[in-house]
Amino acid sequence: MKMKRILSTLALTLTLSVVLTACATAPTATTTTAAATTAAATTKAAATTAAATTTAAETTKAIPTNIYIPVISKGLQHQFWQTVKKGADAAAAKYGITITFEGPASESEIAAQVTMLDSAIAKKPNAICLAALSTDSVMDQLNACLAAGIPVIGFDSGVPGAPAGSIYANASTDNKAAGALAATSMFPAITDKVAAATVAAPVRIAVISQDATSESVGNRTVGFLEEMVKLVNGAGIKDVAIVGHDKYANGVKESAAAVVIDVGISATTSATDIASAVSALLNKDPIAIYASNEGAANGILDASNEGADLGKIVAVGFDAGIRQKTAVIAGYFLGSITQDPYNIGYQAVELAYKAVIGEAVANVDTGAKFYTAANITDPSIKDLVYD
Amino acid sequence: MSNKETGAIAVNKSPKKLSQQIYVFAALIVIYIFFCIFGRNFFGYETFLNILNASNYIGFAAIGVTFIIITGGIDLSIGTVEMCTAMIGAVCFRKLELPFWLAIAIVLVAGCLFGLFNGTLVARFKLPPFIATLGTMMIAIGISSIVSNVQTLQYPARTEANGWFKDVFSVLRLDNGINIPTGSIMLLVVLLLAHVLLTKTKFGRYVFAIGSNEEAARLSGVNVSFWKTSAYVFSGFCTALAGLSYASTYTTILPGSGSGNELDAIAACFIGGTSTTGGSGTVFGTIIGVFIMSCLRIGLPSMNLQPHYQKLLTGIVVIIAVMMDISQQKKKG
Repeated sequence: MKMKRILSTLALTLTLSVVLTACATAPTATTTTAAATTAAATTKAAATTAAATTTAAETTKAIPTNIYIPVISKGLQHQFWQTVKKGADAAAAKYGITITFEGPASESEIAAQVTMLDSAIAKKPNAICLAALSTDSVMDQLNACLAAGIPVIGFDSGVPGAPAGSIYANASTDNKAAGALAATSMFPAITDKVAAATVAAPVRIAVISQDATSESVGNRTVGFLEEMVKLVNGAGIKDVAIVGHDKYANGVKESAAAVVIDVGISATTSATDIASAVSALLNKDPIAIYASNEGAANGILDASNEGADLGKIVAVGFDAGIRQKTAVIAGYFLGSITQDPYNIGYQAVELAYKAVIGEAVANVDTGAKFYTAANITDPSIKDLVYD
Repeated sequence: MSNKETGAIAVNKSPKKLSQQIYVFAALIVIYIFFCIFGRNFFGYETFLNILNASNYIGFAAIGVTFIIITGGIDLSIGTVEMCTAMIGAVCFRKLELPFWLAIAIVLVAGCLFGLFNGTLVARFKLPPFIATLGTMMIAIGISSIVSNVQTLQYPARTEANGWFKDVFSVLRLDNGINIPTGSIMLLVVLLLAHVLLTKTKFGRYVFAIGSNEEAARLSGVNVSFWKTSAYVFSGFCTALAGLSYASTYTTILPGSGSGNELDAIAACFIGGTSTTGGSGTVFGTIIGVFIMSCLRIGLPSMNLQPHYQKLLTGIVVIIAVMMDISQQKKKG
């Protein structure tokens, strides 16, 4: 009786797994399991006969069949990544390759991403696309890819500081330039207040970031800070203090500055913590606030009744999402910086495919633009700003 | 089994626990074979190494918390304490520029102190373990962010002066391409030590006694407060080891992180047969539970199933394991 019960519970567990597999996995993925294993093991040589019959083969190098590329993103927390996935899926469909779009539940889960990368490498893929949460955590894995000859394509923030030769190319936004663009877009709206500031009556500019650790958010913050300091100096104010976090401090004392830039870093990437950080910044009466990614922008919206309570504060956001777009259209946000997430995903997979078939690949800057209520419906902007 | 100290209390080594261990082990084998068949490239040394690497830090913490659960308590703080102690070590090494071996020692001491804090709250002040460790969990998140000034810090990489850290605590990568899972060997050593501690020493006997019937143990002259606290201190030490193991495998420590890791360790204990009411359990069962979860974590992606399915299935497996435990307890009378 006891034995029966044990066996039946084990059987139940297994059945559940099989049922879930059947429901969740795409048919192509399961049917190619056996075929893919053999194909992957002999990638280059496998399709010599197939290539001879393929009319689309433009290169002299043999194109492997059943190309499989795992795309490991930073997480699926923000709508941004869903749009990246759409681009990646489109490129996969165009080239007839299989991809799996993966990512940890949130952008703080480094261990989960490392485990995903380990599992991806174990599947012996043809190439890997990676947006690393922390390059230090994946050094061993990158070296393993380098040794195994698996091309790695960085996307979004890429994989800065990776071992030489392991990253074949990057499809990413120049985040520093994007941050600088935010500063130059914001400045015309605050020039008067800045010019009139004195040490006795200083003005504050707030910056909210979801963390102080990821390369992309870090570069967008640094880009903004450097450009804003330049612009403020250009308006005649020499004393600008950057306060709030050691990483960005510029040595100027807050009490001796006419313009104070307040950098707020959220404790975690959770919406509650970001909103708290924003509230703390808004309580100091800034004249403007800049958010360096979708999560941070949503934090501003959370802390200001979807932007309605911002009043005279000039807000510049980053990325899109339906909430941020609504705030921009309503005029609560001056505007936001958009990347091209669809293209980031598309280029990443395309570069990976080209690397697999042996073509030379180079970095692609997917660009950033500033959108406002006035230009949000322009053809050049409207496809970039996702819901 | 000596009954001189504990009077009429015997250690629970019933056949039931032994058979549950066998069933759990059988479940592990079945799951492993399942993934070998249906997973892509699952069978092989490389994947085996991945499973070991993903299990190490959970394993250390799970071994420690087994002791606490056997005493009838629980520890929700192990996840964040593991990260907090790792962060303290990183701050000592990177910011305060102390010698690395000293940083490691400080990590272990910090873990013991957290354990002592928990133990005192539970044993001396009679707080319910759930509440006490919940509070410690949040305190650990705060301390982690405070000491690091909300910055991420890195442990030494292989190319740095203290690169031996990864070689000893994680994986030794030889030049000829062979990888030796030194971290798992360390886990095995700690596992065996913990087993001896639990089954062959006074400490272990009292842990079981307190879990089976705390009042009877107290009346028999066992210093319940002291031994209960000791269980928490030992768990704190194991948690610190878990933090070091995590640091050696993943290098980067995020401030205020770790919340959620405790659930993996606790789930492993229950899957492995540790009783929900205290008084019985084995560290071997716990480790098997850890490996079952890691198999799921590595195996499901190999079938192209996303990680959320791993969480779903782990939850189902935990419930089944506890149901089995409860049904067997009912049968005993």
